[in-house]
Amino acid sequence: MMILTWGLLIVVAVLLVWGVAIYNRLVQLRNRIANAFGQIDVQLKRRHDLVPNLVEVARAYLAHESATLEAVIRARGQAQTAAAAARAQPTSAASIGALALAENALGGSLGRLMAVAENYPDLKADATMKSLSEELTSTENRLGFARQAYNDQVLDFNNEATQFPDLIVARLLGFATAAMLEATRNEAERAAPQVRF
Amino acid sequence: MRFFDHQQAARAETRRLLLAFVLAVILLVAAVHGALVLAWLLLAAFISALLPVSLSFPTGFLAVNVGVSLLLVLGGWWVETSQLRAGGLRLAQRVGAREARPSVSQAEQRFCNVLDELCIAGGVARPQPVVLARADAINAFAAGWDEHDAVIAVTQGALDQLTREELQGMVAHELSHLREGDTRLKMQLAGMVYGLELVYNFGDTVRERGGLGTLFGSAIMGAGFAGWLAGRMLKAAVSRQREFLADARAVQWTRSRDGLGGVLRKVMTQRRDGAMQRLGRSGIDHPALQHMLLVEAGADGPWADWFASHPTLAQRVRRIYGRPMGPLPLAPQPDNSAIFAAGPFSELAFDGKAP
Repeated sequence: MMILTWGLLIVVAVLLVWGVAIYNRLVQLRNRIANAFGQIDVQLKRRHDLVPNLVEVARAYLAHESATLEAVIRARGQAQTAAAAARAQPTSAASIGALALAENALGGSLGRLMAVAENYPDLKADATMKSLSEELTSTENRLGFARQAYNDQVLDFNNEATQFPDLIVARLLGFATAAMLEATRNEAERAAPQVRF
Repeated sequence: MRFFDHQQAARAETRRLLLAFVLAVILLVAAVHGALVLAWLLLAAFISALLPVSLSFPTGFLAVNVGVSLLLVLGGWWVETSQLRAGGLRLAQRVGAREARPSVSQAEQRFCNVLDELCIAGGVARPQPVVLARADAINAFAAGWDEHDAVIAVTQGALDQLTREELQGMVAHELSHLREGDTRLKMQLAGMVYGLELVYNFGDTVRERGGLGTLFGSAIMGAGFAGWLAGRMLKAAVSRQREFLADARAVQWTRSRDGLGGVLRKVMTQRRDGAMQRLGRSGIDHPALQHMLLVEAGADGPWADWFASHPTLAQRVRRIYGRPMGPLPLAPQPDNSAIFAAGPFSELAFDGKAP
């Protein structure tokens, strides 16, 4: 009887330690997803900060294209508002969706600005413009890589949370699988701002 | 999670290597002792043939042999690693590299940006970007004991000849070395080989004294040479595997074969055209650097394959593309001119000779 009790106690203790280890690992992975999302936010901020400089330089050469410039400024304002809302409610699917929409609009208007700039050799030759367009290219790349990193983290978490035996702990303690970012929903969105300088 | 898994793999690799090194050292010490015993026996036989005396081993023969060779090996390792431990930036400065600044030129701005992008992709702390401004050959290296003093250096030739995508592939390769702890591993290995080399050098010194020293010196040299040879092969074999790993990782991060592939194929062209004249003065031929470079500064010979720290360019290109590919013509990048016209740093570009 004594041996049976001790045996049971040991089994329970081992199970408990094992469960705690899995729980800690899942929490760690979930925190990394949050961190990866923070990275995307940082890069969006960078994009927003870049736009006024770009418009300022372009304005000197593009006197007749004020509509295009205004569209960029407007899109940037909307994206900033959406980003602030998403930061306040990071878990809300609606605010994230609105942010994605606003960012796509900003990307689109930036793309149009760059397409227009193609027709102005003076602007293309401007050293500040060259420097800014390199920054824009880099920012688009950083956004892409940050999304890639985010999706990699989500994959790691989902792999862990949906595989046996971790699955048991994840289900018992209510770890939901995370959703990956979809880069594009349709062809039009897939068109990244073309920067050719 | 990959991050930690790979670090673990690198640590396991280091343990295996350390084990192999300990084995090599034990064998070397045994070989030195064996060679000296042989030399002593030869001497004793020679003397007893001439004179009616028999020589016994001097007291503490074994202890002195083992002690001296161990001291040489471990001391050499320690000295060399503590020099390298001074940091990646120090090493880069020693070979004449300077900090990369986005304000200097379009190309350096691009280099700094590319590095930042890939640090996001790889989830690594940002190393210090530096430029080897006097080197025409396309090349790069990563160095650093830990992530606080890590540097990534590229040559001016790379900045001039590579497209943005290719630069990305190149930086990704070097960043992989940093993330996997390869730079540290390679520094350790270099220290080990230096320690083994010291035994050989010591034998040489003893031999030059002449007389009996010739016999004993040669014995030590023979044993030391075998150890040094084994050490170098061990180091080179590990290094080649790490190169393949870094190539694969560069392709994974950039999702592009043409990035790094383009770099290697342009290096092929440079090699073919012999466009390496400025190599000698550029600092890139520094011996402490050879095993860290993107592509070796050039080694040939019948045994080169055994001691090469890098697989051949053709082998690497074949692995990247899945089939052999030819050299790619060089194409100087149009936008690499210095930024003279604009920016608060414009006076920097004039090198102090402002009007």
